[in-house]
Amino acid sequence: MIIKVEDLKKTYKSYERGNTLGEAVKSLFIRKTKLVEAVKGISFSIDKGELVGFLGPNGAGKSTTLKVLTGILFPTSGKVDILGYTPWKDRKKYVAHIGAVFGQKSQLLWDIPPLDAFNLNKAIYSIPDSEFNKRLNFMVELLEVQNIVKKPTRLLSLGERMKCEFIMAMLHNPEIVFLDEPTIGLDVIAKEKIREFILEMNKQGVTFILTTHDLGDIEQLAKRVIVINHGEMIFDDTIEALKSHLGSKKLVSISTQRPLPALEMPGVMVKNKLSEFNAELELDASITELNRFIDYINSSSTIKDMTLQELPIEEVIKKLYTI
Amino acid sequence: MAFGNKKVYGGGCMIDAVRLHLQGIKSALAVRMAYRADFFISILIMLIVEAFGPLVTYLVYKNGASLPGWSMYEALLIQGVFMLSRGISFPFFFGMVWNTIQRVQEGTFDLLLIKPRSVLQMIIVTGFDSEDLGKLLGGIVLFSVSLANIPFPGLLLWLKFAALFFVSLVVMFGFGLILSGLGIVWIGNYRVYEIFYSIANFGMYPANIFSKAVVTFITSVIPIAMLGYIPASQLLGRPAEGTLIAVVVSIIFLFASLLFWKAMFRRYNSAGG
Repeated sequence: MIIKVEDLKKTYKSYERGNTLGEAVKSLFIRKTKLVEAVKGISFSIDKGELVGFLGPNGAGKSTTLKVLTGILFPTSGKVDILGYTPWKDRKKYVAHIGAVFGQKSQLLWDIPPLDAFNLNKAIYSIPDSEFNKRLNFMVELLEVQNIVKKPTRLLSLGERMKCEFIMAMLHNPEIVFLDEPTIGLDVIAKEKIREFILEMNKQGVTFILTTHDLGDIEQLAKRVIVINHGEMIFDDTIEALKSHLGSKKLVSISTQRPLPALEMPGVMVKNKLSEFNAELELDASITELNRFIDYINSSSTIKDMTLQELPIEEVIKKLYTI
Repeated sequence: MAFGNKKVYGGGCMIDAVRLHLQGIKSALAVRMAYRADFFISILIMLIVEAFGPLVTYLVYKNGASLPGWSMYEALLIQGVFMLSRGISFPFFFGMVWNTIQRVQEGTFDLLLIKPRSVLQMIIVTGFDSEDLGKLLGGIVLFSVSLANIPFPGLLLWLKFAALFFVSLVVMFGFGLILSGLGIVWIGNYRVYEIFYSIANFGMYPANIFSKAVVTFITSVIPIAMLGYIPASQLLGRPAEGTLIAVVVSIIFLFASLLFWKAMFRRYNSAGG
């Protein structure tokens, strides 16, 4: 086990400023303080080599948790042990072992090529020349950015820049890498490349912790998912368990030769009735068994075509978020 | 590639810190050089702005007026030292001020906290300000011209001057810490520079033109006189009154600023961006 978090809590003090000019002026003199419980006591542990996805709606406490784990923020209470360090206490020693990529904040230098920024990191982490070159070449090849790293950063596309952000974050050979929305705004191909890169590095033993709103990231990368909402952990299990979390629901799309019968039956929810002969519905097979449902439709209307799908993960997440 | 035997990088000795600083300067210069015209124009503008103070002094003397007890070149030497002190501190470490303000505002201050270095070192390294090299250039010119027009000081005076000039950098560092500390909690407020200039300018004139209360303030409360007047007067062989006190106060000032910065940083740690 390399990460152990116990009953982590973080409460912010925030000031209400008001939105009208009058309220704003008033707030210059009298400030109403409000305590915001961003994280309300979460606990989990992560093993070496895991690839864990953090999910949660905006403002759920994901970023706060990530900031505590990376040593940026002090928690209000709770214990965190990562590689034997307490991030906010042994920050300098601790962060030498970790890397981080923030989809929204660049670690590169805008006006100069990524390669120059890499050299700055080389000095910051005191990486020996040979090690630096070895790792740089390895990652540059893996991400296919040979020519890109020599162009000024401002001329790069978002996808190219993101690839360089990954190199920047991993030159010092971190054991754990935190990714905060690493594929935000990227096109399909760039996303694919970056996901491949993450999987390859993970195969080599790097532990990844990833927050994202892109469920493709979660489905393709994470073997384990932690869902946080309202500062609490509401789910921590495998991606398969997440999919079946809300029961054995299936998405059924059906077309028949004769008009469809009445569909008001337990376990069936009509999502979209396209015509008398076509409908999309959600079937909870734990209430109405699949074979009974098919028999019923077939005998009354004769099935012409039918597709069955697992409920898309979006639906599962949406339901989890609104709990 | 093997990930088995893990080596940890980071941390380190003095040489390491210097190497990091040089790399920071190299990167910052590369950034500015990316827009060459902009780089030279910025330096030129900086020079014109900086020349303003000495120009006023020159006009005052040319019109028959003077700063009581000081020849024109003596007065200009004080201003040359003042410019030189900022010419070294602004590019090499005072950039910590705008760097902090900008980073806290953009939210990129956090990125410095995930590096295995002290945050203070990181804001200095990434805050190298090449256009402020214009101040250094101006300082060297003004200092040399003034020096050429007064009797050349002896070795002992030079040594004393060098020591006090170093203390002036210490005071500048203290100011940098205070303003950077304010920048952490006072989001996006570049007004801190105005605060600095409005008081620092007291250091570019001989102290005897001010009232007794002001002199006491700029030597033994906040050692602004150290920024120009005290080192320069030493070089001119007319040591300022209260020099020793000012040196002690300067060192206290540095430690107090460091404590202030650390307190502000702690607030950031516990509240977040």
